[in-house]
Order: sequence, then C-alpha cells, then structure tokens
Amino acid sequence: MSSLLASGIVGGYGGMNILNKASVEVSKDEIAVIIGPNGAGKSTLMKAIFGLVQVREGQVTLAGTDLTNCHPQVLVLQGLAYVPQVRNVFPNLSVEENLEMGAYLNPQDVPDALVEMYDLFPDLKPKRRQAVGELSGGQRQMVAIGRALMSRPRFLLLDEPTAGLAPKVMGEIFECILGINQTHVGILMVEQNAKKALEIAHQGYVLTSGENRFSDTAANLLANEEVAASFLGG
Amino acid sequence: MFEFINFYFIPGVVLGFIYALGAVGISLLFGILRFAHFAHGDLMTFGAYVALMMVTTFGIPAMGAIPVAMLVAALLAVGIDHFFYKPFRESRTIILVIASFGISLMLRSTVQFFFGVDVKVYQRGIQRPLVFFDTLRIAERHLWIVGGAIVIIVLVHLFLTRTRLGKAMRAMSDDADLALVSGIHTERVIMATWGIGAALAAVAGVFLGIDTQLHSNMGWDQLLPLFAAAILGGIGRPYGAIAGALVIGMAEELSAYPWIGNEPLLSPGYKTGVAFAIMIAMLIWRPSGLLRGRVF
Amino acid sequence: MQDLLYGVMMYGISLLTIGGIYAILSLGLNLHWGMTGLFNAGIAGFFAIGAYTSTLLTTAESPNHFGGLNLPIPVGLVASMLVAGIVAFGVGKICLRLRSDYLAIATIGVAEILRLILKNEIWLTSGSRGIPSIPRPFEHLPQPWSELGFLAVVLVLVLVLYLALERAFHSPWGRIMRAIRENETAAASTGKDVERFRMEAFVLGATLMGLGGALTAHAFKFVSPDASEPLLATFLVWVMLIIGGSGNNRGAILGAVIVWAVWSSTELLSRFLPIDWLNRMGYVRIFLVGLILQFILQRRPEGLLPERYSDE
Repeated sequence: MSSLLASGIVGGYGGMNILNKASVEVSKDEIAVIIGPNGAGKSTLMKAIFGLVQVREGQVTLAGTDLTNCHPQVLVLQGLAYVPQVRNVFPNLSVEENLEMGAYLNPQDVPDALVEMYDLFPDLKPKRRQAVGELSGGQRQMVAIGRALMSRPRFLLLDEPTAGLAPKVMGEIFECILGINQTHVGILMVEQNAKKALEIAHQGYVLTSGENRFSDTAANLLANEEVAASFLGG
Repeated sequence: MFEFINFYFIPGVVLGFIYALGAVGISLLFGILRFAHFAHGDLMTFGAYVALMMVTTFGIPAMGAIPVAMLVAALLAVGIDHFFYKPFRESRTIILVIASFGISLMLRSTVQFFFGVDVKVYQRGIQRPLVFFDTLRIAERHLWIVGGAIVIIVLVHLFLTRTRLGKAMRAMSDDADLALVSGIHTERVIMATWGIGAALAAVAGVFLGIDTQLHSNMGWDQLLPLFAAAILGGIGRPYGAIAGALVIGMAEELSAYPWIGNEPLLSPGYKTGVAFAIMIAMLIWRPSGLLRGRVF
Repeated sequence: MQDLLYGVMMYGISLLTIGGIYAILSLGLNLHWGMTGLFNAGIAGFFAIGAYTSTLLTTAESPNHFGGLNLPIPVGLVASMLVAGIVAFGVGKICLRLRSDYLAIATIGVAEILRLILKNEIWLTSGSRGIPSIPRPFEHLPQPWSELGFLAVVLVLVLVLYLALERAFHSPWGRIMRAIRENETAAASTGKDVERFRMEAFVLGATLMGLGGALTAHAFKFVSPDASEPLLATFLVWVMLIIGGSGNNRGAILGAVIVWAVWSSTELLSRFLPIDWLNRMGYVRIFLVGLILQFILQRRPEGLLPERYSDE
C-alpha cells in the first residue's frame, strides 16, 4: 500500500506540544488537503512529517517504512519533498541553480529533470540564469515547487502554495499541482484557500487546535454545511 | 603622478588583494555559520608561519610553500570546528564569538611558542623593483601577490559557480534551513567552508609576509580591516567582500597621501583606523552593505 | 625563614591587590555582558582611558605630555571614571544598536582607535614611551604598610562597588535589564526605553573599567599604550567572568580572584625556569587559559556561581 501516513502525531517546538494526535494519510495518486483556522498546527504538522519539528508520539511512515524524526536527507532519499511556506527559494541563486539544488542527491538526473521542469513551467525557461530574488511572487513559487520536484519525489508536501499570490496566478498554481499529481506524485498540502483547494483534492482534513476535527473525502467536506460555514469562508 | 601610483596606489591594490583573500573566507563563514570568526586573522598568521617553517627547513621560496600552508590550515580549521565550534551549532552566536576569541589566542600563543614574538622575514635583502616605461616601479613580489590573488579568486569563483559543492555553499549561505530541506548535507558543506576559508586565509598570510614581514600579531591586526571589507561588501556575499577589500586597502594606503598640501591627509599612524571608520559608517548607514547582503 | 615568610606575605598582598583590581574590571564587564548581554571586546579601551586620565591629572608637570596637574589621587580616580563614562556615552550612541557580534567588532575597533590615539598624540600622552613616576597611594609609608594601604583601598572599593551593584541588580532597574537581556522585543513592547537602559548599563560598566585602569596605573606607577598587553587583559577579564559565573556579581569577583591567582602563581613558578623557557611558558599559559575557556563554555557555561535572583 503505497501511501504516506502520519498517525497520532504529538509534538511541537521546544517544550510545547502544538499537535495533539493529528493524523493524515495520502496515497500515491491522491491530493490531500489540510485546512483549518490559524494556529491550528497545519504547518507544524507538515514540519513534523518532514523531521523539522520533534515528534514525541505517533508515527510517520511511507509505504510501511518508518520515517519518524528522520534527517531530511533520509526523507528526500525515500521520496519525500517539502516546499515551506516562506523562504522557499534561494534568492541569490539563479532559477537553474535553485532547481539543481533540488536534485542535490540525484545529480545524474539533473539534465532530464531540468527539461521536465521547463516543460512544466515554461515561464521559467527564459529566466533560467536570473537570480530568483528578482522574480515575481508567482514565478518564485514555481521555482520553489520545481526545486522540490527535481528530486523526483513520490510525495510532495506543500505549505500554503498560493499564499500571497494574485487570483490568476493562484489558478495557475492549482493547475500545476493537478498536473503534478497526474504524474503519480502524491500531494499533501496545507491551504488557506480552503474551498479552492478542496475542489481539486481527493481527501480533506480539517485541523483545529492540533487535532483532527473532520476527515473525509473532499467532496463530502465541501458538501458538509458545518464545514462550509466554519472553515470555507466566503 | 608616478609617485602616487608607485607609493600609494599600487601598495593599496596589493593590500586590497591580500585583504580580499581573507575577507572572502570571513564572508563565507559569516554567511553560513552566522558568526564573526574572530580567529580568522590568526589563521592567516598560522599559514604564514607554516610557510616560514617550510622556507627555513627546505629552502624553498615562500610562494612554493603556499600549497602546504593551505592544506595544513584547512585541516586545522576543520579540526577546530569539530572540537570547538560544532558543539555550539544551536547556541547563540555570541557564544561562538567568545569561543573563537579563545581560539585566536590559542593559535597565536602556539605560533609564539615556536617562533617567538620577533619580526621575521621570508627572504633577506632588498629586492630591486621592476621598472616599466621608465617610471612605473613595481616590486616583483607585488606582481606575484596580485597575480596569485587573481588566480585564486578566479578559482574560487569557478568553484562557487560551477561545482555542486560550491553551489551548495551559496545555497546554504542564502538559507540554511532550505538547504537542509533540499537534502544538502549541511555538515559537509560547513566542513568545506572551513577548509576553503582557512586555505584562503593561509595564502593571505603568506602574501602578507612576503609583502612586508612576519610577526605573531600580523593576522590579528588584519581582523578589523577584514571584517570591514566583509561588512562593506555585504555579509555572505563573497564577491562583495572582494570589492570591499579593495576599497579598504586603497583607502588605507591613500589616506596617507598628501591630498591637500604637503602633509599626509591622515597621519600614517592612524592607517588602521581608516578601515574601522568605514566599517562603522557602513554599520550605521547601510548595514546590508554596498551590494546588499544580509542584515540579520 | 622570616624573609621567606615576609616574601610570601608580600606576594600574597600583591596578588590580592591586583586580583581586586581585576574584580572591579570583572564587575564592570558583568554590567555589560552578564546584566545586559552586551558583548564588549574593547575593555582595554576604557581601561586605557581611565589609566591615562588619572595619570595625566596626578603626575607632576612634564614637557613630555599634557596635564601633569599634581592633583591628589582620589581626584584622579573619580576623573577616570567620569571620562570613561563620557567616552562610553559617545561610543554607545553610535554602537549600541548594533547586533551582538557587530558590537563585538565595533568595540574592538574603538579600543584600537583609542590605542592609536594614545600612541600617536605624543603631545598628549608621551606616546609609546609611556609615562613613569605615577604616584601611588601610601607610597611614602614604609613597607609593608604601603602595600597594605593600597590593598585596603582596593578592597574597600571592591566592597562598596559590590554592595552598590547588588542593590542595583535587585532593584526594578535590574529586573528591567534582565528582561531586556532575555527578550528585547518583549521588553520593548512594555514601553520601556530599551536604548536608555542599555546605555546606562554600558556607561556604568565603562566607569568601572576606567577605575580599574586608573588603579592599575597607580599600582605599577607606569602607563603606556601597550602596557600589560591590552588584548590579553581583555581576554582575561572575559575568562574571569565566564569562569566565575556571568550575570552574577559574586561570580565576577570569584572568577577574578581565582583566575588571577592561577595566572599569577604560574608566572611565579615559571620564574624558576631558565630564561628562554620563561617566555615560552608565558605562551603555554595563554594557550591553556584559552583551552580552559573552551572547556567551561562547553561543559559549564553558567560558570562556578550560576546566576540566581530570588525575585525570579
């Protein structure tokens, strides 16, 4: 069973536990979305899965392999990739160099992977030697996602990929994510634009105060009146 | 005019290149490890004296001893990092500064133990300068220093822009967390940074010894100009550090020129204060440096 | 035998005297670092200002340098504190807002500039030659009373300063300082003028360093820009504070006495070595002090007497 599973995660920064037995699961061809109010622990859960935040109880497994609290290098080698919400590009490196860094552990794939990336993000090709810090928000986000994809991951973790972007660009990013998912990459994403995100997703998880409030298919969550009222906003 | 070039401009350029080699290391270390490495000057001293040992033992010219000095300094720095800085990776940077303060004294006292505090030189005797166009006088050693520095800087540039490790270093300097997330082995990058930074410092030390002389405080005395250059160029920007170093080197030498009237603009005794004044001005007016590095 | 005992006693008195002066320097650094988290690597600068101020005021008139007003020593001491404080105010205005390692570099630079001024402005300071024949308290008394008298002065000063500082640390002022040290943004949000408090600590600490410099000048009856290797002095005071326990006045004094005792006695012991070994032993000592510092930083960073304030 090829899926990424985080079950019963208890953990947080320093001495505090932000996560209180949170669980999510994504299978390889799925898009799963985590939504919830600010401070619910969504980003923290992502970081916990990626070994950046201490997991005190619970487990993270990928296709059965235990990856709890592993070094990020191990996770990348196992096929996970993570795009943080902020500071997700190397601003002083060029577009192409950013992408190359994504394939640090699989440098032999770089030539082919670069071709794929420029196919996926044609806007980036003419700017490949430009420093990423000079690009627009939308283009930067593409570089951020591209960097993560260069390691040919099985699962992609995205933390608020459309944050701070104009609506048109938002749409492009969601299109992109759908396209990536079509290539059999499982996607787990945290999103503030809950409604739009659920519309392209298969599974949905509503997180409040560090624990699961609702877990269901995306369609059901969209139809759920309580969810719509409290979490889907306008 | 030619007096200006021979006695002020050229020494300024030479000094600038020597500073550049040290400042690049400081900038890289500052960018990746986020602290001001107070022992960097003493790495320069160490390199210079390793070369001295080679010169007096094997009779080779100082330039020939450079590779050995670089290697020894690199290994030493990696060792120092492992035992004395690594334990503080997660601590406040100020602890690292204090530790490096201590390391600088340990390095210096080691040099003093073996070589004393007297002034030493690599090679005795006056060297006649080379003369170009009947008026331009350039000392042969200055040509070697500037030439050598340029070659090394080009090599460093190629390393940083063409190799995987070099790009990883720049990436880590931009954002260490993201580098980790991308799968970059950050500890190896750190070791490489120490190796390269120390090797550059060693060369700078040898060049300094060739240009003037050796004494146990030679490196510590450079620390202020080195930091000034790194800050001027923008923290974590190695190319900025090079530019900053040239500016500082020139400013120091040119400050003694009688720009107005017959007296030097600034009494030569205050030369080292020039770097400091520039640095303070930068820190107050534009802390991100001329090329906009990071501010923290 | 009596001579030996006398020698040991005199040595002990001298040890305590210099140790006491270092204690004052250490208390000053505690105000900067322990209390307020300011990394001052330029102790030597304020030290030198204090030393020269008192010297220029208390020595006899001389064509070699400025001043020479033959004023009484207490005047010199007070003046040294004032001048050091004023300079610190100026330096602080420029540098205090800098981040901690930039502040470190800046303070080194300040100390260096001061050293250059002292060295180059020969009309003022007599330059590298230094100024000899500085008066010493009680120097006209016979030994051992002369030494004891000076020691008494130093000990009284240490005691007075200690009591005053303890009072200050436990006062509301002290609490605010500690809050700023721990979390500057939080402290600022409560409306306290962070800059003003840091400046106060900086200036006060500098006055103590100036006093230490002045006392040293009087103790050795000589001062010069490079005397007592300023960098080493700065480093030693840091080691004293860290070993003793930073943030803690008792720790500052304890660290000063212990480190000075070890430093001084190893110097004494190495006098029994042949001459070229003597110099080398000096370097070995510095190396060992550096190594001990690393050890303490890694194993017991809080020092011998960890900070504890009952109001926390």
